[in-house]
Parts: sequence; C-alpha cells; structure tokens
Amino acid sequence: MEPDLWRQWQTIAAQFASLGQGPAPAAQGSQAPRDAFGFSPFIDSAGRFAAEARAFIESSANGSASSVIDAARKFSDFLRDQALGAQPPWAAAFGMGNPNAAGAAAQWDTPAMGATREHQQRTQRMVEAWRRIDDAQRRLQRLWSDTLRDAAASFAARVGTVQPSVPSAEAPNRLYDTWIDCAEDAYARMAHGDEFCGALADYVNASSQWRGEMQGAIEQWAKMLDLPTRSEINTLAKRLKALEERLRTAQTQRRPKQAKPRQRQPKVAASRPRSARRKAKT
Amino acid sequence: MTGAGAHAGPPGAERGAAGCSGRDAVWQSGKITLFRYRPIARPAGGVPLLIVYALVNRPYMMDLQEDRSLIRGLLAAGLDVYLIDWGYPDGADRFTTLADYIDCHLAGCVERIRETHRLDALNILGVCQGGVFSLCYSALHPQHVRNLVTMVTPVDFHTPADLLSKWTRKIDVPAWVGEGNVSGEALNQLFLSLMPFRLTQQKYVHLLAGGLDPARMENFMRVEQWIFDSPDQAGAAFREFVVWLYQENRLVHNTLEIAGRKVDLRALRLPILNLIGKRDHLVPPESSAALERLVGSDDYTALELDLGHIGMYISERAQREVPGKIAEWLAAR
Repeated sequence: MEPDLWRQWQTIAAQFASLGQGPAPAAQGSQAPRDAFGFSPFIDSAGRFAAEARAFIESSANGSASSVIDAARKFSDFLRDQALGAQPPWAAAFGMGNPNAAGAAAQWDTPAMGATREHQQRTQRMVEAWRRIDDAQRRLQRLWSDTLRDAAASFAARVGTVQPSVPSAEAPNRLYDTWIDCAEDAYARMAHGDEFCGALADYVNASSQWRGEMQGAIEQWAKMLDLPTRSEINTLAKRLKALEERLRTAQTQRRPKQAKPRQRQPKVAASRPRSARRKAKT
Repeated sequence: MTGAGAHAGPPGAERGAAGCSGRDAVWQSGKITLFRYRPIARPAGGVPLLIVYALVNRPYMMDLQEDRSLIRGLLAAGLDVYLIDWGYPDGADRFTTLADYIDCHLAGCVERIRETHRLDALNILGVCQGGVFSLCYSALHPQHVRNLVTMVTPVDFHTPADLLSKWTRKIDVPAWVGEGNVSGEALNQLFLSLMPFRLTQQKYVHLLAGGLDPARMENFMRVEQWIFDSPDQAGAAFREFVVWLYQENRLVHNTLEIAGRKVDLRALRLPILNLIGKRDHLVPPESSAALERLVGSDDYTALELDLGHIGMYISERAQREVPGKIAEWLAAR
C-alpha cells in the first residue's frame, strides 16, 4: 500500500482515467475520462484533505500540547471551510432553487389596480412567496453553518486531546472518519431540532405556493393561446379514473360466484396463547 | 462506440441490475406486474409467499446478485415466491390512491395467486412501505392471508428517532404535491439529507481508498444503481401516505381508512413475524416494534437484527440468517 493517502488516491484516479480512455476521441481532453466517473470532486477533495491532514499530523507529532491544539483548530477550520461551500442536500429535495427574491420584490409593493388587478395580485403573491423562500433559505444556511462550527469544534476537541503516534498511511483515514462522525453527530442534533424543522417547512411551503402561483400564471397564458392546460388534462384523467372504477365495480358484480377454493389445513393451530409472543435479538 | 469509452463506468458498473433469479410475469394490471420465481430447490410444499415491496425504490434489491439475494435464499428453502413490481408511475398515474394500490392492485395479485393455487389464503412478506400495505390488506381481507411477515416496516410514525417524520410534520403536503407526481429524484435528495456527510462523501472516499477490485466495484455500483433508481411517486397515494401516516399516525391511532373501510390492526389475528433492523436510519426500530402492541394476534414474533435498512436485504449476515428464519417460521405454521 502506498504510504501516502494522497498518492494512493492519485494512483486510483490514474487507473480510472486509463480505464476510460480506450477508443475515446482525443478531442474530449485529458480530463474527460476522470470526470466521466463523477469522482473528480472526491479526488480533489481527498487531495486537499490529505495535504491538510499530513500537515496536522506532522505538526502535532513534533510539537507541544498547545501546538497540537492549534494544529487541530487549524485543521478543523479547514474542514469547516470545505463543507461550507457545499449545497445542503435538502435544497434540491423539494425541487426549488433560490428565486432571488430581493431584487424583484420592490417593484410589486404598490397596490394592485385596474383591469389586470387579478394578475398583479398573483404576481404579488409570488413575490411574497419568494421573500419567504429567501428568508427560510437564510435560516437554513445559518443552521448549516452552525452545524459545521459545532462539528469543527467537536473534531478539534477529539483529535486535539490525542497525541498522534508515528504518521502512517492509516492516520488520514482515521482522521477523515473522525471528522465524518463529528459532522454527522452535529448535523443530527441540528436536523432533529424544532428550529430546523420549522425553517425547512417554511421553505417547502413557500416554494409550493410559489409554484402554484406560477402554474396559475402559465395556465392563463395557455388559455390565451388556446393551448391545453394541465388543469384540463387533470380533469380528463379524473374522469377516466372514475370510469375505470365504475367498470371494475360492474365487472366484479357481474362475475359469477365461484366454487369455494380448496383450503389446506394448517400444520399447527394458528391461535396460540398471548404468552406465545416472542422476541429474538441477534 | 464513439466517445462511449470516456463515459463508461468502472468494471461491472455498466451491467443492468434487474435481478438475477429466473422468473415469469404471470399477471399484469396497468404498470403493475406480478412475477413468479422459478424454483431452484425441491418445493417445501407450503402455500405461496407474495412479496410486497415499497413504491419508493425498485424491488430488484431483493434479488441483486446471486450471493446477495433474499429471494434466492427463500427459493433455496423451497418456497414458492411471487413478487409485485409496481413499475414506474408517470403523469397518467397521478390520481392513483392508496386504495388503488392496496384494495385493487395488491388485492388483484392475491386473487390471481389464490385462483392459480386454489387457495383461500396465502403468505405475505411486506417490505418497508410494502409492509404497511400488507398490514392494511391483511386487516381488510384477513381471510386471504395465512401468515404475515413484515420487514423494516414503519408502524408508529411518531417515534423520537424518526427524522423523516419530524421534517414532514409541519409541511403542507397537499400544497407540496399539488395534483402532480412526486419526483423520485427529489425523494433521493431527501433520503441523502438524512445523513449527508456519510451518504454524499464518506462512502465514495471509502470506495476510492479501498482500491479498484472489480468485484467490489461491481457490488458497489449495483447498490448505487438501485439507490438512485427511484420511480416517481403517484401524487395522490404519496399525499395520503405522508398525511395519514407520517403526519397523523393513523395506524397507531386506529383511524386509518382505505377505500372507505377502517384498517383496524387489532383485528389481525393471524401469525406475524416482524423483522426489525436495529441500525435502521430510515425506519427506526421502535417504529417497527410498535406493531406488537397494536395487533390482536396471539402468535407474534419479533426478530431484531443488528442491521441497517439496506443491510437487511443485502448484507452477508442477512443472507445467512433472514431467508432461513422466514422459511423456518413459515414451515412451523
């Protein structure tokens, strides 16, 4: 095994790249095979992690207790910075991005008037939903940042109190797993909390309202152009489903009564005393 | 193969993961297909076992590869195994309800098997959300179910460790779903959000750090393909499932109705085997274990395994223990 984790991962990356080259046209560039596997972010991240981890291990192995704490703090700050730029997964889970509310809101703050009042009001509702999305996203991002801060503090506390032994190939792996454990623990504490659940719900609910208003606006345009709308298609789908259900009911009622099927006898009596309930742990 | 080399996956990754055991489609209704698996061992002679999988992922996880196949283990024990494949719902299925899934499609599969074997009742194995469907069906049609096995099945949706439940509690689900389907991709992101550092970073770093052994890569990619092979969810059924169960916890409160009929778990008097994953992050073990206090069965067995949600299907330990336990339990009844 390579003694250096970074080199080890570089070697693996090179193997990935050579796997993908084959008959691929040269025009695709040297990065294409590696990127094609989707591993580039992990390889790059691993490279940065290995370099920082190596610096931490070396400085802490040769230094005093206070320098170990400093090195741990620096390393945990690096880890926090690494994760801070990542998009939290829940942002994509509910299908909405940031509609950039702040810039668009101001021009719709005046009262809706005139023949297009209904459409102005819809737009105002959309803008209001944008504001709520934006607010919820800020709250979520702040909680995400707090999580990373707590994770980093926890990580620094855990690794700062342990004097590393001689640097080895496994040391970065252990550090990395320790960081993940700290991060997941901090995340779980945050994710179970009322503040996060409330912010997430506000984000989803505002996004749903925004989407509903947008659908209404698009349907308005579709009607003007005599294009079919989703509402019309839904109405047809509901009618079809109702017809299918009536047909199924009619078929069931018209089916002749069948002879009673043969029933096999159970091997043992199905009914047992309540005390027969069992729990097994393996 | 113009340019394909650049986008080909690692060894093994390109193979389809549609299951490894021989099977035949014996009944279809819309996008739903009922499969019967071909025997690989001397038949044990019991009544057939119908596997009811969840809607949120594809059922080939139960039959991923020869050495990681719960279905193969059941077949090796001589069981006659059927499985419902719910298919991939599209926009035309957006108004499909839980009643359609349970009282129409699942009931249709049971009826087909009963007709084929001339039986009053068969055995059912419900997995995760499919376990909830199986509980509902068994409560509504107790005369057609002889034994019920539930695996990693949520029952009490308000246990303290249930993160999904906490997240959904204040969400306006009807507004979120609207009249459309719910994208499987969005659900994937939601599931990743439960443990984002492990599921979006650590597992790939571990994969890279472990070297490029083709067999290991093939195993990894099969699971990876399954994880992200998530059908869209029929909107109406999804809305009902989340509101009625995740938000209102109707199974526990005994207020669930399907097709206008009450689902009363206390009416379940049949033998029940409940398989619980002690390290399940999706369905907390307490959620599954709640079944014991809700059912009226005198023959209830809970089997807790030190496994996670997915490990219950594909881990080596699961291969060694789960099929044998199920077959043994069924054989005694």
